[in-house]
Amino acid sequence: MGFLMCKEDNGLGCLMKNSASVELDSYFPVRHQRQEDVPKTRFKPRVGKTLSPRRWNAAFSQDGQLDIAGVLRRIQRGGIHPSIKGAVWEFLLGCYDPNSTFEERNEIRQRRREQYAAWKTECKEMAPVIGSGKFITAAIITDDGQPIIETSVNGNLPDDFGGKPSDNGSADKRVIQWKRSLHQIGLDVVRTDRILVFYETEKNQAKLWDILAVYSWFDGDIGYVQGMNDICSPMVILLDDEADAFWCFERAMRRLRENFRCSTTSVGVQSQLSTLAQIIKTIDPKLHQHLEELDGGEYLFAFRMLMVLFRREFSFVDSLYLWEVMWAMEYNPNMYLLYEEPNSSCQNGSQKINNKLLKLYGKFERKNVQTGWTEQKTALAVFVVASVLETKNKRLLKEAKGLDDVVQILGELTGNMDVKKAVKGALKIHKKYLSKAKKS
Amino acid sequence: MASTGLSSSNSSSSSYDLSFKILLIGDSGVGKSSLLVTFISNSVEDLSPTIGVDFKIKLLTVGGKKLKLTIWDTAGQERFRTLTSSYYRGAQGIVLVYDVTRRETFTDLSDIWAKEVELYSTNQDCVKMLVGNKVDKESERVVSKEEGMTLAEELGSLFLECSARTRENVEQCFEELALKIMEVPSLLEEGSAVGKRNILKQKQVHHTSGGGCCS
Repeated sequence: MGFLMCKEDNGLGCLMKNSASVELDSYFPVRHQRQEDVPKTRFKPRVGKTLSPRRWNAAFSQDGQLDIAGVLRRIQRGGIHPSIKGAVWEFLLGCYDPNSTFEERNEIRQRRREQYAAWKTECKEMAPVIGSGKFITAAIITDDGQPIIETSVNGNLPDDFGGKPSDNGSADKRVIQWKRSLHQIGLDVVRTDRILVFYETEKNQAKLWDILAVYSWFDGDIGYVQGMNDICSPMVILLDDEADAFWCFERAMRRLRENFRCSTTSVGVQSQLSTLAQIIKTIDPKLHQHLEELDGGEYLFAFRMLMVLFRREFSFVDSLYLWEVMWAMEYNPNMYLLYEEPNSSCQNGSQKINNKLLKLYGKFERKNVQTGWTEQKTALAVFVVASVLETKNKRLLKEAKGLDDVVQILGELTGNMDVKKAVKGALKIHKKYLSKAKKS
Repeated sequence: MASTGLSSSNSSSSSYDLSFKILLIGDSGVGKSSLLVTFISNSVEDLSPTIGVDFKIKLLTVGGKKLKLTIWDTAGQERFRTLTSSYYRGAQGIVLVYDVTRRETFTDLSDIWAKEVELYSTNQDCVKMLVGNKVDKESERVVSKEEGMTLAEELGSLFLECSARTRENVEQCFEELALKIMEVPSLLEEGSAVGKRNILKQKQVHHTSGGGCCS
C-alpha cells in the first residue's frame, strides 16, 4: 500500500480540499511503531497554492509542451502535490526540456532506460549480485583486490556473486575501488529512511542499492559517499521505474556531486561551507566573528545540512517540499540543454534576456541573471543555511560559549523549522548579499 | 532523523565541575551512534548513517564530580577520514568501536584507527576505550572476548563488550572512561580549566553582554 497505487487515483480533488496531513501519510506511510520518533510534518497541500494534479495536467499543450512558468509559480508558492512529485521533479531537475513533445520525451525516456540497463549489465558482470533483488553489507574484496569469501548477503546467492577475480590477477584499480564501495552502500541502504514502510521490503532496499551501485560505477570520479543514499531514497519512492529513478538521481547529483568529491585533504562540501562563511561575514560580521572565536569558523556544524539537503532537520515530506521549492527557485530554462550538450552555445550570456524569458527562470536564478551574478554559482541551499543561522543569531551570540553550544542550539531546529520561512529568509539574505557584494 | 531530535535535554548552561571531550571512532555501521543515543536517552532505535560529525552532550555525576561530556560522533566511511582528523584536537577520551559480528571492523581498528589516533591525537595522555558492540547477537559473533582483551592490552586501552540494543554495559563504557580520565592529572587539569572558564564566561557575559573571549 504505497504511493504508487495512489498515483492512479483520480479523485484527488477531495484531498486538496481537506488537505489533512493524515492523507499525506497514506502517500508515504510511516511504520506504525515509529510514528512517535518522526519530526512533525508541516507541509499541507493548499488549494490555489500547491501544484495540484489537475493544474499539472492542464499545464501541457496538446502535443505535450509544458507551461513551465506557470508550474514554477505554483511550486514556489506551495510545493507539489504528493501524487505528482516524481513527474514534476523530472522537469525541475532538467531530465526533460519543457518545450519538448510527449513523443520526444518518450523517445528520450526509452533511450535512457536502455542506457541504464546497459550500465547495469556491465556492473552485473563484475558483481553478479547487482539486479538480483539481494545486496551485500560486508566487503567482497580486499584493498589489494583479493576476493573475500565469508561475506554476509541478504539471502542466498551463488558462490561467485561478488564476481570472479580478474584473469590477469591485477584487477583494474577502478574496479577494485568500486567493489570496495558495494558493502558500504549496503550498510547505508539498510539504515536509510527506516521509518518508512516503503523500505521494509528487501525488494525496495535492493532497488536503492542497485541505483547507487550503478551510479558509483558510472561516476567513478566521485564514487559512493555516505549521504548519497539520503538524496537517492526519495527518487526511488517517487518514480516507479528503476531507470527513471536513476536518471532523476543522476540529475540531482549534477547539482550536488561536487559536495561529495573527497580528496586526501577535504570533502567537497567544504567549499560550500567557505561560501557560507563568506556570506555570514558579509551580512552579519558579528555572528561570524563570534563563531570564529569559538573555533567554528569552518562552519562544519552545517556540514550535514548541505550534504543531505536538510534531510535530517525536516520530516520526510517536508524535506521533499523544501527540495522542490529550492529547485523551482533555482530553475534555469537552459538547464536541459546545458546537461545534454555541455558545449552548446546556449549559455546565459549569449542570450538576450527579456521579460518574457525571465519568467521562465525560478525566483532565485532570475535574481542572479538580473544582477549578472552567473559566474559564481552558489546554491540556494547555502543561503537557506544562512537564513537558519540568522534565526538563531541572538541565542548564538548570547548563549554559545563553545562549539558544543552552537551545535546544541542548532540541534533544536530539528522538527521546528518552517520550509516557507527558511526559503523566504534565504532569498532576503541572497538579495542583501548581492547588493553588498556589488558595492565592495 | 530522530538522532538530533534526541540531543540531550540538559541545558548546557547548567553548572558542572569538569568538562571532557570524547571522540567516537570506528568503521561504518559498528554502532557508534547507537551507543551514543542509548547512553544519552532511553530509547533504542535504528539510526541513519552519520554524515560528517554529530555531537551529543551528557551531564552526569561520576566519583562525586559533576561532569559535562561532549561526545563527538563521527562518520565511519573511509572517505570522511580527512574530516575526522580535525576532530581529534583536544579530546581527552577516545572510544574505539568495533562490531563483534564483523571481523573486518576489528582488524581495521588496529590497522587503521589506532594509527589515526597516534597521528592526530593532541593529548599524549588521552584515555582510550576499546568497545566490542552488538554482543546481543551472540550466535553471529566472530570476534572473541579474548581477542578484544588482547588488542586492548596492545593499545594500552580500557576494554568492554556491550550492546547498544540491550543497553548492556553502555553506561559503564562512558563512566569508566570518565573515571580513568579523572585519574590523569594533566587531563583533569584541562577538564577543570574548561569548567572554570565556563563559569568565568558566564559572569563576563553578565557584565559586558557578549564581547569575544578567545578560547
